[in-house]
Amino acid sequence: MRWRREPSVIPGFGITFGFSTFFLCALVLLPLSALVAKGAGMDWQRFVAVVTDPRAVASYRLSFGASLVAASINIVFGFIVAWTLVRYRFPGRRFIDAIIDMPFALPTAVSGLALSAVFAANGWLGQYLEPYGIKVVYAPLGITIALTLIGMPFVVRTVQPALEELPRDVEEAAATLGASPFYTFIRVILPAVLPAMLTGFTLAFARAVGEYGSITFIAGNIPMQTEITPLLIIIRLDEYDYAAAAAIGCVMLAISFAMLLAINLLQLWGRRRVSASARR
Amino acid sequence: MSIALEQVTKRYQGQPVVNDVSLNVAEGEFFVLLGPSGSGKSTLLRAIAGLVDIDQGSIALHGSDVTQVGARQRGVGFVFQHYALFRHLTVAENIEFALRVRRMKAADRRARRAELLKLVALEGMDQRLPAQLSGGQQQRVAVARALAHKPQVLLLDEPFGALDAKIREELRRTIRIVQRELGITTVLVTHDQEEAFALADRIGVMNLGRLLEVGAPRDLYARPATRFVATFLGAANLLLAQQGPEGMRFGTTPVDASVRQPVPTGREHEVVTVLRPEEIELATEREKLSSSYIARAVVEEMQFTGALERLRLKLLDNQQALQATSGSGEARIEVTRAQPERRALPLAIGDVITLGARRLHVLPTPLSSFAIYAAEAAAQALTDAPLLATLAARMKTRVATCADAAAASSEPAITPGVAVIAADATAPERAAQLLRAGANEVLLLNADTALPQQVCMYWADDAARHATLAVAASLLRHLPAEALCIATAPAGRRDPLRAQALRALLDARSEARAAHALETRTELVPGEGPSAVADFLSGLAAPLLVLGAADTTAAHAALNLLNARLPAMPVMLVYREGRG
Repeated sequence: MRWRREPSVIPGFGITFGFSTFFLCALVLLPLSALVAKGAGMDWQRFVAVVTDPRAVASYRLSFGASLVAASINIVFGFIVAWTLVRYRFPGRRFIDAIIDMPFALPTAVSGLALSAVFAANGWLGQYLEPYGIKVVYAPLGITIALTLIGMPFVVRTVQPALEELPRDVEEAAATLGASPFYTFIRVILPAVLPAMLTGFTLAFARAVGEYGSITFIAGNIPMQTEITPLLIIIRLDEYDYAAAAAIGCVMLAISFAMLLAINLLQLWGRRRVSASARR
Repeated sequence: MSIALEQVTKRYQGQPVVNDVSLNVAEGEFFVLLGPSGSGKSTLLRAIAGLVDIDQGSIALHGSDVTQVGARQRGVGFVFQHYALFRHLTVAENIEFALRVRRMKAADRRARRAELLKLVALEGMDQRLPAQLSGGQQQRVAVARALAHKPQVLLLDEPFGALDAKIREELRRTIRIVQRELGITTVLVTHDQEEAFALADRIGVMNLGRLLEVGAPRDLYARPATRFVATFLGAANLLLAQQGPEGMRFGTTPVDASVRQPVPTGREHEVVTVLRPEEIELATEREKLSSSYIARAVVEEMQFTGALERLRLKLLDNQQALQATSGSGEARIEVTRAQPERRALPLAIGDVITLGARRLHVLPTPLSSFAIYAAEAAAQALTDAPLLATLAARMKTRVATCADAAAASSEPAITPGVAVIAADATAPERAAQLLRAGANEVLLLNADTALPQQVCMYWADDAARHATLAVAASLLRHLPAEALCIATAPAGRRDPLRAQALRALLDARSEARAAHALETRTELVPGEGPSAVADFLSGLAAPLLVLGAADTTAAHAALNLLNARLPAMPVMLVYREGRG
């Protein structure tokens, strides 16, 4: 490890490292520590009781389950969208490219409102789904759809540059070597963009777990059925039960951290395979 | 034949990038496609591999037509300029890719891989990733990968383009050795003539989508048939000379018979000669030359390049006659000398010396230079016409202007080269006058005449056929247009004249192919004579007509008719008197 690097535009390692550490502490670690401290304020038995309350457990399952499903959907369709944008030139391409970012800019409450308008029992699409017994609003399906919507740009925007960097001649090489399009996709294209897809997945997942605004509109917030963890925390806060809110928050923090760590390790392993101690 | 291409054409947005290319590559041959960037050589190679669909023509590999077969099934080995290795796979996995696709057993794969790595001298690199290899090593892996499935044809697209000089040479040797050892039919694409010379059994030179010439490196260098090949394969000075029954001369200076190959001579006409820089002798005075004297010159530029000394000389006399390289300005001659020659006669900038030619090659092209017959302003407009400007630049030739107040009279003085006149209402009459005065070719065009998309050939009298084909072929080497041979015949299906016309067309096509390496399409137009031709031409987007004629009255009549019907169309009138 080299501590001193060659001169560059940004002044010295000492200053930049110091600033980074301070920035991380003040904005990330400090509030998180406060949360943990708050949760630790209550005694152990009560802590266990609060976090294992069936209502809380149901909310974890819904929050993380729906987020995983949404991120998984995004990884498939986000890839297809990115592929279309990178590989083809068609009228309206710039327009579609701009639309991708809309969920970034929209206040999430607005997305929730919009989705409820479409999927409500008398909404544009909802009225056709209702007769078949497909319930979107006030159901886990609605939550998943909302989380998919807000997570989509993360996957597209991370996969897009990776695809742009993937040289076309690699596909042609695979073809001259006798590989079918499917084989080429599985063995050549997918491994090349997998790290980017994982990053996109992580971001979409992280965003979905923390999502609150859009869900409150479409979920109906029925305890044990469509109540997500962030909402449960708000409810506890409304009851002035700060300790309980913090305790549930700690559990969420722990699960999220574990999952992100796992994905990061997976990615690290994948990247090491691709560029192993790159460029010698 | 290992690879057989038949009139292959590929267009992008209507523009042909590969234009009517026919080519046969023999079993085990190392063939190099050489050309500047944008000449269509890479597209042609990719078409052979099946990576590009062609618009017309056919491609056969080892006797079976593969035009409609995809890249996957053609099974050729292809090496890309930027290696195109699978970056996430190890060297071993890269090389075994084709074998894995074919579900070969692991043990067999390993054996084949070891064999290939030995062939490209990369033993022990199996478990490296491409990122851990140098550029040269990566390209070796790419070659090994392309050979893994034992293809019968190996195609390489500028494989050394991204490497530096030393490694390039090393890899070049490896590829030559591998090719010899396996006896595999190989086509390599490059823009580097040195590379082509070093590797090729035969070279095919491409420009503007056309395959101009094919031949052994030595033959192409010594006896090029086209200006492009002469100047692209090594350096060349193009000089205009007069060729007559009593020999050849530069201006007033006769050229010794010993330095040029005999050329069939008839009426005196202008020819284009190739003088290689290393075939020029320098001496302090004319008497000391052991070769044929050409002119005196002054040293303008000197360049030391190691083994050779490169000189740029400005001619002091004979300028007009020798000036073939530019439209205006003074003629420059390039000379290279080996060190012993340099020591024998050291020169400095500003020295005046005499030039001699040890060997001259006369190009068989009928188009030497252009001479515009028009008043000054009109002449300038014609010089700037896109068609003429492009032709002159690509042919590296002179465009002279004959300010011809006198030439408006019935007996214009003839300047050598293609006569150029404005295609106005008086043009047919002027053209006929010029022919009578001794011109062989007259180009009729307007100031705004753009580049044609089709070059059509038509002659009413068969005596004009050779000349028409030669002129059209010469034009087409400099224009990315379609070549089209036209004949007319009565519409009746069983008419004997029709069969005769058809036979004449096919004869013309094979003559174009044999004598000028030109592929043409043929069109039998219903009707009779120039009016039927005009009907047909009016349906084309941007035609140029090469009109062959064997007597001036017929030429005059045909021009009159065409000029009335299609005033905007450029016409190249080719006149050869009927034999006998």
